[in-house]
Order: sequence, then C-alpha cells, then structure tokens
Amino acid sequence: MTELPSIRVGPSRSPASGPQEDKLPSSEPSVSDPAEVEATHGPSVFRVENLFFYYGDHLALRDITLDIRPREITSLIGPSGCGKTTFIRCLNRLNDLIPGTRLEGRVEFDGESLYGPDVRAIELRRRIGMVFQKPNPFPKSIYENVALAPRMNRMKGNLDDVVEESLVRAALWDEVKDKLRASAFSLSGGQQQRLCIARAIAVRPEVILMDEPCSALDPVATFRIEELMEDLKNDYTIVIVTHNMQQAARVSDRTAFFTVDTSQGGRTGVMVEIGATSKIFTAPSDQRTEDYITGRFG
Amino acid sequence: MTATAERATVPGPPSGLSARARRRSELTGRDVTVSAVLAVAAFVPAAALVWLTYEMAKQAYPAIVFNGWRFFTTKTFTLGNLYGGTPIVHHGYQAAHGAQYGVLPFLFGTVVSSAIAVVVAVPLSVGGALFLADRVPARLQGALGTFLEVLAGIPSVVFGLWGVFTFGPLMSRTGFKWLAALHIPWLSGSPGAGQGLLTASLVLAVMIIPIIASTTRELFRSVPPLTKEGAVALGLTPSETARHVTIPFVRTGILAATILGLGRALGETIAVLIISGNALNIYPHSIFDPFSTMAAGIAAILDGALTDSTGMALHALGEVGLVLLLVTLLANLGGRFLTRRFSVGGLPVGRGI
Repeated sequence: MTELPSIRVGPSRSPASGPQEDKLPSSEPSVSDPAEVEATHGPSVFRVENLFFYYGDHLALRDITLDIRPREITSLIGPSGCGKTTFIRCLNRLNDLIPGTRLEGRVEFDGESLYGPDVRAIELRRRIGMVFQKPNPFPKSIYENVALAPRMNRMKGNLDDVVEESLVRAALWDEVKDKLRASAFSLSGGQQQRLCIARAIAVRPEVILMDEPCSALDPVATFRIEELMEDLKNDYTIVIVTHNMQQAARVSDRTAFFTVDTSQGGRTGVMVEIGATSKIFTAPSDQRTEDYITGRFG
Repeated sequence: MTATAERATVPGPPSGLSARARRRSELTGRDVTVSAVLAVAAFVPAAALVWLTYEMAKQAYPAIVFNGWRFFTTKTFTLGNLYGGTPIVHHGYQAAHGAQYGVLPFLFGTVVSSAIAVVVAVPLSVGGALFLADRVPARLQGALGTFLEVLAGIPSVVFGLWGVFTFGPLMSRTGFKWLAALHIPWLSGSPGAGQGLLTASLVLAVMIIPIIASTTRELFRSVPPLTKEGAVALGLTPSETARHVTIPFVRTGILAATILGLGRALGETIAVLIISGNALNIYPHSIFDPFSTMAAGIAAILDGALTDSTGMALHALGEVGLVLLLVTLLANLGGRFLTRRFSVGGLPVGRGI
C-alpha cells in the first residue's frame, strides 16, 4: 500500500501499538459540563433531544438524546436492528423519502431546528454529505459524478478545480486522473466508495454522514477509507455507523452505543450511552455496553 | 490447471473426455429432449424472419425488375386501367396500362408519421412512467399501471374510429386551428375535418404510449433506491435527480422501449388507414394533409390489385411490403446499435483496477 502524501497517518497506524492502546491515554478529558465542552470544541453540530422515530405505527427509535461535536468522528455502534441507520438518516432528513415515517422530538443542526416548518430539506442536505452502505455512483463519468451536484447547486469557482480538489481529498485523484471521462462503474468497489466520498466533499458540506461505508469493501479498501476519515476529520464533522467495533475503536473520537429494546413490546432502538471512544471500549458505564463490546451478544 | 491435474482430482466421469463430452455424459434422456425442444424454439424466430423476408422478396421480384429505381422516385402509385388498354411491357414483365408504382409517398408517410408519434410519445411516456414510479403511492400506482396495460391491448381499429369520430374533429376545431394560425411553413394550411398526417401521428402516439410507458415504468422501479438516495443526499431536487440519475440509469432500456413503440407505429395499418384520409397519391405539403403509409396503402390497394390480370399490381404491393419490412428491420438494427453505444452508463468503459 502506498501512502499518499495528503493523508495524515496517525500514530495508531504504527504496528507497534494496538489501536485501543493508543486511545487509552484519553485524548479527551472526561468533560461533563456542557459549557466546558463548548469552550474546547465549539458548539455542537447536531443536538438531538428526545428523538422518537416511527415507521407507521412501529416505534423504531425511542428517546434519543445526544450531541455531535464539530471536527470529531462520532461512531454509532450496536447490534443489527438497533436503529443506527434510521438515526443517521434522521440527521439529513433522508427518511423524509420513506412514506409513513414520523419523527418526534428536536433535532438541531448548527443551532437551528432541522425539522422546523421553514426548513428546506433540499438546501439543508447540501450542507450535510452522506456516504452509503454500498458505493452508489451515478451512471455517469467519474468527472460528472463529482461535478454534478456543484453544477446543480450553481457553486462558484472552476468546476475542474472542484473536481480535482475533491478527488485529491478523497485520495482517488492519482488513480483516476487519466480517465476522468470513463464510467464510474469501471472503478473497483473501494474506488467507487472513495468516489462517493469525493462526490460528497464536492458540495463542501459541514458534516459527512457515513452509513457503514466499508460494509461492502475488502480490508485493504476499508483501511484506505479509514485513513481518509482521519484526514477529513481536520475539516469535517463525521458521523459513522459501523457494525465493526474495531473500526469504531480505531477511527472515532466518540462512540454512541445503541441497542434493541424489547421490554415495551416490539423492537425499538434505544441509545444506551455515548462517550469518549476510549471510555466506551474500556470502562463502559452500562452493563449492556460491556456485554456487547466484549462479544457476549450481538 | 492442467488436464492431468484435473483428471487426477475430479472423480466420477470417465477420464480423457473433453469438458463438453463430460457435461453431455451427465445428461439424462429427458434433458436431451428438453434441450432439443428449446433449441427448436430458439431457432423458430430466426427461421421465421428469414423465410418471411425470402417470401416477400420472391413475391416482389417481378416488380423489382419492372420498376427498377423508379420505385423510389415516382410520386404516384396507380394500378392503371385494370379493365382495358394495352399492357405496358418492361424488362419482360407486363403491367396494366397506365400503371405507375412509386413507394415514395408511402415511405414518406410511414417515416414521418412514426417519427412524429415517437417524438410526441417518448417524453410523455417517460414523464408519465417516472411520475407513476416515483411520485404516486403504491396502491394508486397499481391501478394506474393497470389502465396503461389495458390501453396497450385495445384493438387499433377502435383507436382509428375514435380518431376519426372524436379526436380528429376536436383537434381540428382547437389545437390544429391555433397551430395553423401561426403560419409556420409545413405546419400551416387547413386542418379540414381533422383527417390527415398530424391526427394520424397523434393517434399513433396515443397507441404507442402505453407500450413505452409500461416498459419504462418497470425500468424506473428497478432503479436501486440507494442510487436515488445518493442524489437526494447531495441536495438534488426531485427533478434534478430524475434528469441526471434516474433516467440515465435506465436510458438503454428507454431506447429499447422506444424501438418497440416505433416498430408498432411503423407497421400500424387499420388505425392509420381510417384517419389518414387515405390519399394515396398525395405527397403531403402540410402536416394537416391527407396521406398514407406503406401498411395502410397495402391494405387499401389490395382489393383492386387482386383484379389486375397482369399480376404486377400484387407484385408491386409485395415490393411495398418488402420495403416496410426492411425499414422496420433497419429501425431495429439502428436501435440495437444505439443501445450498445449508450449502454454501461453511456460511456466508453475504462479499465477498472
């Protein structure tokens, strides 16, 4: 694997120290006072309060309250069916597309209500990028995949520069610069996923939501995406849903653990706890979290 | 893997046989029968096409010799005097006195009416299919989709009658009158009672819309939600998503559906015959003028041609039929060429790594 100069490789990549070990000397002091958090991290990007989400009559998420801090990677982990994906799709209102869904509670983005009556979801989504479980390039050339949204949004600046910049940022430029007019489908899965990241970056969002971005990729491609996330963290707030606990431990600053609750009938997703990744993986405060990360269930 | 290695590791079938022979050795008698039946079924369409073309060519041959290239330059098609006069002799073949066989007005009528029909029908079909697949609740979608399929099955004679009784007169009083008032060359003139090229083309469009739309609707339903969500998540509006993502995703299929519709428009006989004004010899100078197509022309002339004692009128109709067959084949081949050209995202596929 050749490492591109643009990628910042953290010390956790050195083979001598395991990722968890590296996280142990907590990079984040355990701060509980919100004012203090705001002083060190800036205001929260997302502030979710008492979120309930329904598919028709089915309660899919119950009473979720959490903050997403700027320029950090927040990972959402938990067993299948715990509502991680549903939750992340609440953050860019993608669930609006599904008929019969309903959301209660408050979601703030940049201090403003995301679900307010005057909010235009379409404009909002330009500020919140998303990468999906499987690479989903458009049936267009590599160039057009990246250029499409900036062109539609009438972004200022030279489109060629935007495309190059985004592809460089997504660590794909060197592999595709000689075939920008080739179909996006001619790329490998890992390349397609980086293309989708470039596509998301091209509209210059403030946040990138990643819904299991590596679930369809091999370990090498996964490693490249993780490297890329480390790099992107400098400029973007990243929220990642992952099934892979090692991935959460490797890349994220904060981790939220979701689980399935069946105590009130039906399968409802609840958030058990959120905290610094090092804390969640070494000293979780809830027994359910410990059971999950030690592999006792899920 | 070498043959020896394979032989050593693969148990069962006798060694030393080719892969094909080994596969064959695993077949039962029943498999062989089924294979034979399927093979025949697979060859029937090809054989039918070859046979049909051969028979049409054989029927048309005397006319081809008799007419030569004049067939494609003559602007009239007349059977001549079927009840008297001295037969014309040309290249050893006889035709009725005064007979002139020119395919040009028919060819023009077929190509232009089908082209107008396709140009009108494709945007409406694609738009309607997109609306059905994307914007309509599932339950209503089923009902509306059923209407579409029922519409596709209505006999064309009914469309023809509707065109001549209702649609033609209505358009003549409204849309055609306004269009004519604009005085655009070829789009002006008197709409008359609404029998003519434009009415027929529009009725053809109505007839092929269900074909194109129902196929396209299925295509749109096959577009992965993830692809559409990708566009939505980038902040694209529904119409931008449709234009840049959903439609390009299925454009090859839309092209194929269009060829299907075009095929029906090219060959449509009775509806056109009823609405066209059946003007066999007029080379239309206005879009409202009466005209005819190859298919409608054959149907209209056949009765008279059967009474031609020289037999040349029938051969000439055979030649018209042959040209129609070739035009249809060309349209299909052209469609296939375009389909191949535009497949895989419409782009030359580069090398993946």
